[in-house]
Amino acid sequence: MTLGGWVFMIGSVLGVLAVVVYCYWKVLTLPKDGP
Amino acid sequence: MSKEAQQWGSRLGVILAVAGSAVGLGNFLRFPGQAVQNGGGAFMVPYFLALVLLGIPIGWAEWTMARYGGRKGFHSAPGVLGVVGRGRAMRTLGGLGVLVPLVVCMYYVLIESWCLQYFFRYAFGQMDLGADPAGFVDRSKAVFVAVTGSDQDGVTLNGGIHPTVIFWLVTMALNLFFIWRGLSRGIERFCNIAMPLMAVCAIVVLARVLTLGTPDPAHPERSVLAGLGFMWNPDFSKLGDFKTWLAAAGQVFFSLSVGFGVILNYASYLRKKDDVVLSGLTASSTNELFEVGFGGLITIPAAFVFLGASGAIGGTFGLGFNTLPVVFEHMGPFGRFIGATWFFMLFLAAITSSLSMLQPVAAFVEEALGLPRRASVPIVGGVVMLGSLWVIYFSKNLVALDTMDFWVGTTGIFLLATIQSIAFAWVFGVDRGLAEAHVGAHIRIPGVYRFVLKYVTPVYLLVVFIGFCVQNLPGYIRGLAEDHVARRSLWVILFVAAVIAVVSSLGARRWRAAGLDLDGKEPPND
Repeated sequence: MTLGGWVFMIGSVLGVLAVVVYCYWKVLTLPKDGP
Repeated sequence: MSKEAQQWGSRLGVILAVAGSAVGLGNFLRFPGQAVQNGGGAFMVPYFLALVLLGIPIGWAEWTMARYGGRKGFHSAPGVLGVVGRGRAMRTLGGLGVLVPLVVCMYYVLIESWCLQYFFRYAFGQMDLGADPAGFVDRSKAVFVAVTGSDQDGVTLNGGIHPTVIFWLVTMALNLFFIWRGLSRGIERFCNIAMPLMAVCAIVVLARVLTLGTPDPAHPERSVLAGLGFMWNPDFSKLGDFKTWLAAAGQVFFSLSVGFGVILNYASYLRKKDDVVLSGLTASSTNELFEVGFGGLITIPAAFVFLGASGAIGGTFGLGFNTLPVVFEHMGPFGRFIGATWFFMLFLAAITSSLSMLQPVAAFVEEALGLPRRASVPIVGGVVMLGSLWVIYFSKNLVALDTMDFWVGTTGIFLLATIQSIAFAWVFGVDRGLAEAHVGAHIRIPGVYRFVLKYVTPVYLLVVFIGFCVQNLPGYIRGLAEDHVARRSLWVILFVAAVIAVVSSLGARRWRAAGLDLDGKEPPND
């Protein structure tokens, strides 16, 4: 695996994970009032 | 209008349902193949660009238009687009939002039943590829041919009851059961369980794949790390090829379930102050987690360590149903458990998608004809089963399936997404649309999206669509001339489209008589 491979793999996966965590953190910490 | 008010039970419920609609076989099987063939890690450049400029904005537009249409009492694509697009032309084009999920469901439920059958084969030890590893590939192909009947038309419907038909019936029954129960008690409750379960299954398989090491001493170059490299090492030369950009945009597009008529229905049950921006982003990012995080790390490395580079390249069916069974066989006794987990996960991915396609069609039938759910479900179920039987019978080389997938499941989706993009930004108006999106929103859409939605997204979409047509239309038109099954399958599609147009017209008459503002002349009065 090349350096570029590591960069793209880790960057893509962590980038998506960061957005997912942020979104679900926001969704789950909002007051319960339905959608 | 439907006689029974349907509503989502919770914020998370609608998000998981839309995410479930988006996450399908393509996340695990199509994305990896597309990436490997189009530059590996470098593919992520056009991929993320398409996500940000095409997928997510069209998703936001769909969520917004759907909620707006829902506030006016409409939950079907013709109703919603008629309101948003202010008239009959858009309402007629909205028929695509019924045609696409209906026709796609006809073959998708069949593929879903294959996943269920493969799961059962693994779970009950009936996935036998023989004792000789040299024969695994041929045996795997033979199993696929036996399950799908792809060597001959009618083979799964001849003589006795073929297992494929049994699994198809069970799958249809499961789908109709959840649709019958309705939005909150059926689809939402199921997705609330299925989505986390899917993630657990994916993690189990991922953990097994990443710990494979270098399983074949005869091939020390085939390590998991080399497999990940095969997937992710960037080939920047591919960025100069238009095909790469086309493939990336296409993958994002189909992966996110935009232009399917699904979000146009699902989000129509939201209330005025229910957020669409954060919800849309959350659903999209969940899809990306399964695609990039799981699909990107499991499929290709698993195939590579046992079969090398040539074995790790393939399309959706090739990778999913031919290559991976060989991989699981090479894993030894534990491979059976991993195989069962994998195909159960694919089944969950598929059924959360097929439910999302049945629901908008049921809503359309209810809304246009004034029928209750207990009538719409048998009608929709019956139509889907008839279409599905067509696909099951004309199984040779999967021509019927492939024809429907091209004309409706690919071209139709491009068309609908383009229509939606123009309706939102140009007919409804991008400023009005963004203002509407921000009602109840928990995050703000960046200001640059005013420009993106109005100019970049429609142009990007049109360029990709034209490129797709140039690349694929000649072959498929030739196919129509040469193959009578392809020709007749297209007639089936056109017949279904005509029926939808008639029902939609009947619906418009009912809506006008009921005093609904079907042309969107007045603002919502909620």
